[in-house]
Amino acid sequence: MLPSYEERSVWVQLVSLCVVFAGYMAVSISMMAKGVLHLAPYVAVFMTAVVLLVVMMVVGHAAALLFGKPEKADERDRQIGWRAESNSSWLLGAGVFAAITAMCFGIETVWIAHVLLGSLFASEILKLALQIVYYRRGMDEGVSGGGVGGGV
Amino acid sequence: MGAAWAGGSEMGRGSGAPTTTIRNHIRTLRFAASEMTQQHLAERVGVSRQTLNAIEQGRYAPSLEVAFRIASVLGKRLEEVFEFVESVPGT
Repeated sequence: MLPSYEERSVWVQLVSLCVVFAGYMAVSISMMAKGVLHLAPYVAVFMTAVVLLVVMMVVGHAAALLFGKPEKADERDRQIGWRAESNSSWLLGAGVFAAITAMCFGIETVWIAHVLLGSLFASEILKLALQIVYYRRGMDEGVSGGGVGGGV
Repeated sequence: MGAAWAGGSEMGRGSGAPTTTIRNHIRTLRFAASEMTQQHLAERVGVSRQTLNAIEQGRYAPSLEVAFRIASVLGKRLEEVFEFVESVPGT
C-alpha cells in the first residue's frame, strides 16, 4: 500500500536531514581537525547547510506529491508525531547536559556549540525515524488507544 | 465469529498481566455494505485510507470519536464493530 502523504513527508524530512547533517558534520570535523576554533567560519557552513536542507525539502515534497495528493493529517498522524517527539526529546536534553558539563571543564566554545547542534539534529533524526517505525509497525500498548476523547 | 475478526490490537503485554485485545469486524462489515472500499469508508469517516487500513489490521486503535463514526457509516452499533476481549496469558 502506498504510504500516506504524511508518511512520505516524514521520509523526505528524514533523508534530507540525514544528508545535510552528515555533510555539515564532515565539513565541521575536518575544520576542527585543522585547528579552526573560532565559531565565525562555521556560520557560513551552517547557513549553507540550512539552505541545502530547505532546497532538498522543497524538492522532496514536490516529488512526494507526484505519488498522490496530500491528505489532511488525521488523529493517527498526530499521535505518531506526539509519541515520536516524546521518545526522542531525551537526546536533546542529554546534549544540553553534555554541553553544560563541557562548559564546566572549560572546553572550547566551538565544541560546545557542535555538541548542542549535534544533539538537536540527532534528536530530530530520531524523532523522524521513530515516526517511520510507528507508521510501519504500529504503536505499542497503551498508546494506540489514547486518542482525543479516549481510545477504543 | 472469530474467523471474521479482521484485526485486533493488544494492550498490556507485560508478562503475567491480563492481555486485553480490541478486535474489529470492519472488513466483514465493509463487504456486507455493498463491498464498500477502504477509500470510501475512510473519506466518510474523515481519516486517511492508511489509517483505516491500520485500524482494520489492528495496528491502531482509534479514538472513540472515530470509532463511533465508523460504526455510524457502517450503520451498526459500536459493539457490533469493535469487540473487547480480555484473556490471561497461558489460558
